[in-house]
Formats: sequence, structure tokens, C-alpha cells
Amino acid sequence: MLYDINLKITYGYEVPVSGGRHLVRVLPASIPGRQRLIAGSVTVQPAPGERSESVDFFANATTSILFRSVHEHLVIRMQARVQAEATALTADFSPPLTGLPSQLAACWSIDADSPHHFIGPSPLLPEAAEIAAYACEIAGENMTVCQIGAAICGRIHRDFAYDAEATTVTTTPAEAFKLKRGVCQDFTHVMIVALRSLGIPAGYVSGFLRTLPPPGKERLEGADAMHAWVRFWCGTTGGWMELDPTNNIPAGTDHIVVGHGRDYGDVAPVIGVLKSYGTHTTEQAVDVIPVE
Amino acid sequence: MAKKQAAEAIDKGRSPGDPVSGYRALPGVADEMLDPQGNVRPVWQRLLAALGRMDETELANRFARADRYLRDAGVFYRAYGKGDTERSWPLSHIPVLIDETEWAAVSAGLIQRAELLEQVVADIYGENRLVREGLLPPALVASNPQFLRPLVGVKPADGHFLHFCTFEIGRGPDGNWWVLSDRTEAPSGAGFALENRVATTRAFSNLYAETHVHRLASFFGAFRDTLQAQKLHPDDRIAVLSPGIANETYFEHAYIARYLGFMLLEGEDLTVVGGRVMVRTVAGLKPIGVLWRRLDASFADPLELDQSSHIGTPGLVEALRAGSVSIVNAIGSGILETRAFLAFMPTLCRHLLGEEQKLPSIATWWCGQEPERQHVASNIEGMVIGPAYSTRPFFDDNGQSMLGAALRETTRTSAAEWLAAGGGKLVGQEVVTLSTTPAWVRGRLTPRPMSLRVFAARTRDGWQIMPGGFARIGSGDDVAAIAMQAGGTAADVWIVSDKPVERTTLFPAEESFTRNLPGSLPSRAADNLFWLGRYIERAEGALRILRAWHARFAEAADPNMPLLKDVSNYLSALDISARQPVPASLLANIDSALFSAGNIRDRFSPDGWLALNDLSKTARRFHATVQAGDDATHAMTILLRKLAGFAGLVHENMYRFTGWRFLSVGRYLERGLHMTRLLGHMSGPEAPDGAYDMLLEIGDSVMTHRRRYNVNTAALTVTDLLALDPLNPRSVLFQLNEIKTEVELLPNAFVNGQMSPFYRETMRLHSGLAVMTPEAMNAAVYKRLEQDLERLSDLLAQTYLG
Repeated sequence: MLYDINLKITYGYEVPVSGGRHLVRVLPASIPGRQRLIAGSVTVQPAPGERSESVDFFANATTSILFRSVHEHLVIRMQARVQAEATALTADFSPPLTGLPSQLAACWSIDADSPHHFIGPSPLLPEAAEIAAYACEIAGENMTVCQIGAAICGRIHRDFAYDAEATTVTTTPAEAFKLKRGVCQDFTHVMIVALRSLGIPAGYVSGFLRTLPPPGKERLEGADAMHAWVRFWCGTTGGWMELDPTNNIPAGTDHIVVGHGRDYGDVAPVIGVLKSYGTHTTEQAVDVIPVE
Repeated sequence: MAKKQAAEAIDKGRSPGDPVSGYRALPGVADEMLDPQGNVRPVWQRLLAALGRMDETELANRFARADRYLRDAGVFYRAYGKGDTERSWPLSHIPVLIDETEWAAVSAGLIQRAELLEQVVADIYGENRLVREGLLPPALVASNPQFLRPLVGVKPADGHFLHFCTFEIGRGPDGNWWVLSDRTEAPSGAGFALENRVATTRAFSNLYAETHVHRLASFFGAFRDTLQAQKLHPDDRIAVLSPGIANETYFEHAYIARYLGFMLLEGEDLTVVGGRVMVRTVAGLKPIGVLWRRLDASFADPLELDQSSHIGTPGLVEALRAGSVSIVNAIGSGILETRAFLAFMPTLCRHLLGEEQKLPSIATWWCGQEPERQHVASNIEGMVIGPAYSTRPFFDDNGQSMLGAALRETTRTSAAEWLAAGGGKLVGQEVVTLSTTPAWVRGRLTPRPMSLRVFAARTRDGWQIMPGGFARIGSGDDVAAIAMQAGGTAADVWIVSDKPVERTTLFPAEESFTRNLPGSLPSRAADNLFWLGRYIERAEGALRILRAWHARFAEAADPNMPLLKDVSNYLSALDISARQPVPASLLANIDSALFSAGNIRDRFSPDGWLALNDLSKTARRFHATVQAGDDATHAMTILLRKLAGFAGLVHENMYRFTGWRFLSVGRYLERGLHMTRLLGHMSGPEAPDGAYDMLLEIGDSVMTHRRRYNVNTAALTVTDLLALDPLNPRSVLFQLNEIKTEVELLPNAFVNGQMSPFYRETMRLHSGLAVMTPEAMNAAVYKRLEQDLERLSDLLAQTYLG
């Protein structure tokens, strides 16, 4: 599938801010066999005093911007054309859960894609006993890692209500778990914590969803803003698999990847530090349109 | 009391002249003073002979001299928890003596270790061969909170990750030294080691002079020169980056900065512009070339590291990527402190250096590997089990580690199962028995367990080990009690030579001095000085009004007489309750002054600091006890005298440069405001009976008024003297005069030959008041002047403190 993607993030500051430094991670990635970025750009208004581009540890494209003058708004726009190439996995090459540790131990790598980065607790995702118990109950003795992932994904989708008012960007997975409500970030975080509690390496994927479904299909949740889903490791042969717990589907050609990380903190679209004396508002608008 | 203790000591076997009798090494434990045969080691003999010549009183006097030095120098560390208080430094007065030959071997081992650690950290953030080749388990890096991913691939500007490390070492029962832990993140203690040395030599000055003890200064000198050489540009500054006054070892940050002549900065002093780290100073942004970081790495940049950090500098990591600043030690080096790394050091040493470790680490097994875990399980009785990713040594980790023997009693499952569940999160370490060293306890030398903290610095001639350091000494027989936070003490370490040692100081020989002007003043320091000035003056203003009020209250037949009521209304508008003899808001004011002063402790003398603390303590005591009226009047007089004491110390001792000017402008501005407000309220025609006299008293101008005007106090004469007399140090015009003088000398008073807006406003206010007559002064004029002065303060903040 070929997509044109437009993203607009607008910050409005109650009291104009002077200066500020931000990291922006919104540009889709090129991932061999998964998707290809054909063209893309990130523009910022007002014009920043300094701007530089880099690639972070997890290979995410990062734009760094610095403002020196007073401004009331910040508008970040991203435009991209992406060829989505992923096909959903059909075969399950993953080992049973008991077979995973030895495959993990045989992986002597700490490259960005190494499963070792995704096992332990990460800054936003401490261990949570309740979620571990939930995962333990779902994971059957003879299930493969891949089956466990699908089962947890399905259970979260069933047990949790999609509710944009229930949580905020700083809600912890334990809180979201208690509420059984939230948005894609919460669904994703809970599923990651559940998988890690079983010893399955799991990470956060940020990206976009196709805005309008193909004819005859339902519109997916999370298409009106940036989306998030889970990537987990199915062993040496199984590799990484992507599941979207918000919609209980594998992430396929309707899911366009922007970034990989251990949790939201690694891939947040905008991280900013500024001196401000008031509150601010944020708006996000996303269009993901197939090119015929 | 001292006599009684001495008698007890004699009962227990100590005879005068022989401090060693009764001292026995504990069974199975090495001792620093006694060799395995129980004989006194040669390096200790001179000290023991000297101790033998001193009686109880003399020793007590000598120890007191050392303690007094530490108190006067303001040496403190912060004890976390229990009210978060500053504690005086717990010196154990008997130094630990080590022969220089033995020390040479220890040094060689630690130099090798520093070399090894450098190669390990360079690989982790660089090529990553150690993990790929199976020498370092990937989990120990990837699951390690100290592994800072944004730094992967970033090469340090000067090519090295490590420049300053400390090692905790201990001597085992066989007499050999072991490394207990490596400190590479932001190691502390070097400044305390220096102060330990000074204090201990105060106690044993003659002995120190005749014992050939290696000096510490050349170690610091070599390190300072190395940092100087690391700057990429000659104009770059070197700074100590501190987390701030709330940190456990803030004293040391200030001390080291002052000792080596570096700036003392905090994260918010810095900004990153065009990939360069700059310090905000009152003269604008100035480039920083080298940062000696005393701040935990993850707090250093809220943008790329810990996003919750409020003490970092956004963009610092970007500057590191640009290679424009050198950080000591490199951000990310803290990963080397991970306890589980100790298990891999022998292999890594063989692999990377091609040799055996000269100084072994304490035997450690990481439970993330099956054979190692089994070894720990089957030897559990002789193990300490603790968190694998902890960066603290087992005897200093707030009880996170436990003895294998104790573990058996607390868990129902078998040790093997428990270890398997914990897996890679646990390490087992061999239980070590540390050596003992003599401490003076209840009038006699008593063996106490100790470990040494040793300091290593990278210099142009390679790694150098400080000849000395400090010994941490346990309060009982238990090795776990060594940590200072648990009631342990610290002793100086003397490395003793059998021939005279070289004496160096950090100061160049006299004939070659140049006069260094202080560098640009950081804006935050200027801000603290300015507000210190304002708070001190504000406290003084309030005290003067309160004293005058209580003096009248004590005499008044009618507590509701108009003057008292009027002034108490005035005070309550300032949030001061006249009826409360030492009002809470006054205490808050003094605390604010203390807080501002604490933030810039490297900038004025310990005497000033003590005076300010004394003022705060006294005010607090009075707050609880003093009664309204005469009692309060007397109390205010005492507080004013103490305040004058502090002001005097500052006035007499502070170097007249930019910092002084900000402090002064703060004082003048606040005094001007105080007098303007008071005159606006009390000098009008409707002022109650006695108001003019009270004004003169508050303005400390009763005598002057009597001398200068041959009339009774009247609105016009009071106005003339307190508002417009340029010679009266309490008048408003005098304050503006002084502000004008100081402001002229501040940086950027003129820009391209034109007055800066701040200077222009100062001139406008000054000349406006200078041409006034007493007749023209009225409430409206005072009100406008008050607003103008407040605006002047804002303008100063905008110009210099932003």
C-alpha cells in the first residue's frame, strides 16, 4: 500500500514562552521488508533558532529544535509518502515460553534490535504485580510465545474500554490496569508489562493508522491521532511480531511505523523543556490516505 | 569526668606511656597497627611513642583542636532522612598509617584497574566487542539503568571516558588488599580527604612534621593542570557541576571549586547554544570547556536523559555529540559501578590487558548464569546476596543485601529456588572480613573495622593515585556499620616514607605571581547575592520597627493609643504581626537569607555563614520564649546586633568585585524601599502623635536630628533628614546614590557608549529625588517612588539575572 501521511501538532501557550528546546520524533521509518519512506519532511513554525537532525539509539529519526525568541504557538507539521510492505505473519515459528530463555541467552548482542533492551523494566514501565498475575493466568502451559502474545492482546482488548477521557499521557500501566480504560498508549503499556513479566521481550511502536478503512471494514480506533502498538520477540527464528491491542489485530499494512522504543518515553512525538508560567493546549490532526 | 575515664582505662590494662598494651587484634582479622605476630608495625612506632607521651588531658585538647578546625571551616555532610540535617564531619582522630612500599603495590593495582575500566566503558559505548565475543553478558548492559543509550557512539571530546575515579578497598585476613567497589559516576570524598588531613595535622602537628608523610597537594595540582590542558579553547572556563545545596556532599563541591579555582555551577546556570555549553553570567554567556560533574548522569539533561530532572541542562547531550565540551567523567561511566561487573573483571583484565589483576576484586558471582548461580546456592553460608545492578558496595546499600545465612531463615523456599527466581537480578559475593585499625574509644585504642577510599586521577603522565585518602571506620565490630550514614567515622590516611618527602603546594612560587581577577559572575550567584542583600535588609527594617513599637508598648498606659495602632496596621500590611514578639514572617525572612547564602557558600567566609546561622537560631529561640514589651525590645536589640555582626563580616571581608556589588545593590534597594514606605505612611500631616520621633528612632537618626536642626521634630525636618539628606546613610537619597555608584561599575552599564536601560533608570530615579525639596514630598510622591524602586529591581533582574 502507498500512503500519503499528514500530521499537524499544535501547541498553544497561555502565557507566551521565551526559548525552549524540543526533540521531535514523527517521521516514518524505513524498515526493510516492512515499509519504505519514499519522501518525508518535518516543518516547524515559528522558525526555530537552531535545528538539527539525528538518528537515536533505536534508529528513530529525531529533529532537535531550539527557540530563542518569544512565541505563543508551536506548530509541527510532517508530510510523508510511505510504501507499506508488511504482510501479516501466517506461520508461528516461536518456541514455547520455557524455550525462550535459552534462545535469549544465545543472543550476544546489544544492537538496537536486540531483545535484551526490552526485557527489564524501563523508565515508564516498572514491574506491576497485578499485571504479572493477569499475564500468568492467561499464559497456558503449552502455548508458544506467539500464542501467548495473541492471547494477552485479545484479553486486553476484551477487558479494557477505549476511553480518551479516563487517562492522560502520564498515567502508569498499573493505574490504567486498575481502571481497565484508556487509549492506545495505555493498552500498549499494559501489554508490554504483561509480556515482560513472563520473560518475553516487548517494546513500544509509535506510528500511524490508515484513517478510513478499506470498503466494508470498520474504522479502527486511534486513527485520528498518532497511534501505538506492541512489538514482542518470538525467539531467534520467530523474530519480532507486532500486535495492536487497541484493535486486537496484527499490525499490518494499515500500521505505519514511526519509531521503536522500550516505552512511550523513547518515542514520544515531542519532548520539550521550556520555561513557562502558564498552561498549554495541544492538538493533533492526522490524515493517512491511500494513494490510488 | 576525664579523670574517671582515665581511671577506668587503667583498670582495663592501659598503663600511662604504653598505649598499645590491652590492644589486641580480633581473632582471624588482620590489623593495620599490629602485624600477624602481634608486633607493632614499624610505621606506627613513632605515632604510638608520641601518644604514650601525652596524658588524657593533652590528647583531649588535641582532638578538640581538630574538631574545632572542622567546625570553623564549616565542614559538613548532609544526612538524608531524619529531618535531612547537616552533620558535622565525624573525624576519627587517629590516622591510619601505611608504609609507602606497600602503598606502591596498591597504587600499581589501582592504576591497572583504572586502565581496565577505561577500556571496558569505551567498548560498551563504542564497538561493543565485549558483548559480541561473549565476555560480558548483554543483559548486564541492556537491562542496566546506568546504561545511557543517547551516549552510545558518542566519543568523549578529549578521547577519555574516565578522569577521576575512587576505589573502596579493604584488607582481608591474609593481609592482602581487595577492591570492594569502583566509583566512576561522580565520586566524592577528595575534598573531605583534604579536610581530614588538615584537621588531623592540627591534632598532631609536631608529629606530622617529623613523620615523613606524603603530601596531597601535588595530586590535586596535577589533576588541575590536566583539566586546564583539556580545554579546547583558551577562553573556555572550567567548572564543577553540582546538583545543588540539597546534595549530601555539597560542601565538598564548593570546597573543591574554591581549592582548584574553578567555577561552581548548577544545571540551570548552563545553556547550550550552537552545540556549545555556555554559562549565564552577569556579563552574558561564556563558554565552558570542561565540566567536573558531581551530578548523577541521568539528571544532567532532561531532554535526552531523565525527563523528570529539574537540575539538568537541556541540550547537554547534544553538546557532547558535537564534541565541544569535556565532562569528567563522561556521562554514562556510572555503568562501571554495577556490582555484577565485579564478577567479570578478572576475565576482562586478561582479555583486554593480557595480564592478571594486580589487585583482585572481592569474589563475586552473577546469578544470571546457571553454573554461577549453583555455586552461590551451594556456598550460601559464606555469601552476601544483593542486587546485581546496585552501584553501591554491599556494606553501604541501605540493607538491600543480606547474608546468605540470614536468607535461609527468612524464606521458606530453598536458597536455590530463591536464587533461580531472582536470576540475573542477583549477585552473590564472598563474605569478607575487613581489617581493623585503632580508634580512640573511651580513653583507649580499640580495634575497629575499616575500609579505605582511594582516589585516582588521570594526569598528563598517566593515572596518579592520591598518596592517602580516607579510611571509613565502623562504629562497632560489624562491617556493615562502616557507612558514614550509619554512625561510622572517617580517619586520615598517612602514607609514610622512611626518608623526607617532597613538599608542594598548589600555589606557584612567589616571584612568579600574576594577579587573577575573579571570572564572570554566574547569574544565579548574582541573583542569590542580590536577594541575600534584600532579605538581610528586610529583616533589619522589620526588627527596627518592631523594637520601636515594643518600647512604646511597654510604656504605654493605653495599648490602643493611635501611634501603636497605626504602626501595627502598617506592619500587618507587610504580613508582620506586631503582637507576636518575634513574628513568624521575620523567621521566614531570615531563613530566606540563609537559603540564598547557602546557595553561594563558596563565595563568603565560614565566619559569615556561622554568624547567619547563629542569627537564625537565636531568632527561633526568641520566637518561642520572648514576651511583648520590654522583653521583646531587648530581644530585638540582640537580633539587630547579630545582624550587624553578619553585615560587618561581609563588609569587612568580601572582595570588592561584581558579587559584592549585587549584594550591596540588594541592600540599598531594600533599605530605600523600607524608608520610602515608612515615610509615605508616617510623615504626613495626619500622622499620630509621636510618629516623627518614632520615624527618627527607626531610622537611627535621633542624634543627628538633634545636632542638625535646632527645632523640635517636625514633618519637614524629618523628611529632609530621612528622605533627602545625601549624607545620612539611612536616607532614601543616600541609597540611590550608592546604587548609582555600584551600577556604574557593573558589566554592560554602557552598551556602545550608551547607557543601558537599567543604568538609565537608576540615573533617572537618583536625579529625580536629588532635586526634590522637603515641602514637595507627600504620600503620592512616596508611592510613586516605591513603585519606581520595585521596577528598578525587576529591571536589574531582567538585565543580569535572567
